[in-house]
Amino acid sequence: MARINEKSQGASQIEKLTDAPLEFVKEGQQFLAKCKKPDVKEYTKIVRAVGIGFVAVGVIGYAIKLVHIPIRYLIV
Amino acid sequence: MAGYRLVDVAKPFLPILPEVEVSYEKVSFDDKVVYTIISGLIYLFGQFPLAGISKDESNVKDPIFFLRGVFGAEPKSLLEFGIFPIISSGLILQLLAGLKVISVNFKLQQDRELFQTLTKLFALLQYFVLTNIFILSGYYGENLTVVQIGVLNLQLVGAGFIAILLTEVVDKGFGFASGTMTINTMVIATSLVADTFGVSQITVDAEGHKEAQGAIINLVQGMRSKHRTFLGGIVSAFNRDYLPNLSTTLIVLAIGATVCYLQSFRLDLPIRSTKARGVNNVYPIRLLHVGALSVSFSYVLLTYIHIFAFALIHLVAKNNSQSIICKVLGHYETVNNILYTPTFPLSLLTPPRSLLSGLFEQPLTFVVYTGFMLITGVWFANHWQAMSGSSARDIAVQFKEQGITLTGRREQSVAKELEKVIPVASTTGAALLALVTVIGEVLGLKGKAAAIVVGVATGFSLLELISMDYQQTGGQSALAQVLGAPGRF
Repeated sequence: MARINEKSQGASQIEKLTDAPLEFVKEGQQFLAKCKKPDVKEYTKIVRAVGIGFVAVGVIGYAIKLVHIPIRYLIV
Repeated sequence: MAGYRLVDVAKPFLPILPEVEVSYEKVSFDDKVVYTIISGLIYLFGQFPLAGISKDESNVKDPIFFLRGVFGAEPKSLLEFGIFPIISSGLILQLLAGLKVISVNFKLQQDRELFQTLTKLFALLQYFVLTNIFILSGYYGENLTVVQIGVLNLQLVGAGFIAILLTEVVDKGFGFASGTMTINTMVIATSLVADTFGVSQITVDAEGHKEAQGAIINLVQGMRSKHRTFLGGIVSAFNRDYLPNLSTTLIVLAIGATVCYLQSFRLDLPIRSTKARGVNNVYPIRLLHVGALSVSFSYVLLTYIHIFAFALIHLVAKNNSQSIICKVLGHYETVNNILYTPTFPLSLLTPPRSLLSGLFEQPLTFVVYTGFMLITGVWFANHWQAMSGSSARDIAVQFKEQGITLTGRREQSVAKELEKVIPVASTTGAALLALVTVIGEVLGLKGKAAAIVVGVATGFSLLELISMDYQQTGGQSALAQVLGAPGRF
């Protein structure tokens, strides 16, 4: 619920201008209420998959970046 | 100007610009993985330091430091502008075509080709213009010779051209999803690892003390370094502001976890087959229907505004606070000798350097920046969902082809029912993502918040595509066998 509150706060600045944002927030809240949220098991699975992917790719990328350091000394 | 179309501009360039051919045979799963990773690695390797810039520090610092993360742009390297021109040219031209501002008939082969060439041409033009704005402003040093300017142009535009081709390789079916997505995710993952575990030692003060780039490595080093007490080392690991510290790393991870959570929000619509009885299933509509593209779009606009202002302030007004342009737009000030932050009107669209300095010096920024992110993000999501090929109408057509319908609805009213759900899902998702980004940026992440939002969201969809492809090929992958992971996804 906290996230929904933040949202209405964020939108409240424009609220005065028109009614449209109000309705937008209401529709959004209704949609969020109907949404299926992940349970703990599913969520940990997702975070693990994304985490492993991110770290694996990041480590490969960083290895490439390390090669840059000696080259940087040569050029600059 | 009847009969004249913008796509025709690209016609003379059609034979000149090289193009990646679509593969004749189906690219196998393993090949796709290899192509995807290698193109990302080539991009990363391309972040070479620029040759031919003057050695002494220029007075002009980096004006877009907080925008770099999203576009994989590395300052003073060949990829100074990263993939910003590619993303912006793709997004904006497609948006214009979708809004019918420029007329393209996507059913015609020739129009598609022209449009594609136009996108490339526009990206190349942006590389060229950006390069010369930066050169003329004195960012690479004042009083450059003609040769130096030529060499810089050659390097930056040339590298941009290679980047365009790299993304095209992935786009044309040799890799997964789109090239910009892949490269973006890889660059963001790399900088996350570099900021956390980076071992390279950087001189941080006049006495020549060195600290590691990575926050965790720095913590360990700080505990046993000689010039600091044990506690001082730990405190400094959490709040140093010249290099990544542990607090920002933790915030970044928290934002990543939040995006993962939002990413798995979905509305399951019950569907049934129109042909066979009793075959029931669900069709998920995601909250993040347009993914992180809305954040990318907001940042594209933000970059345009900042580059334009930078050009005006530096090229026309020479960053002189007396000049009329600077009075209207604000001018740039150097902070801590590394950051280049704009003053009042322009600062409204610049996320604060840290929460405290933001609260005291630029409180209005919070309102304007949040408003900007929300409005542009939602506006974009609203238009993009209608033309991206996964709009309510398109999905209804797919349903019809596959002989499925929403449970309890007639086939004709499927589109109407989806029309009620999809726009709401996309705009709500875009607003939430914008808010997550804003919260992170306001805490002083200097562009890392936006980067991780885009990175995790695109990484997630990449992972999804890859696992789908993996299942479709029946798990016949030598790579998966080598890695010893049958169906881990």
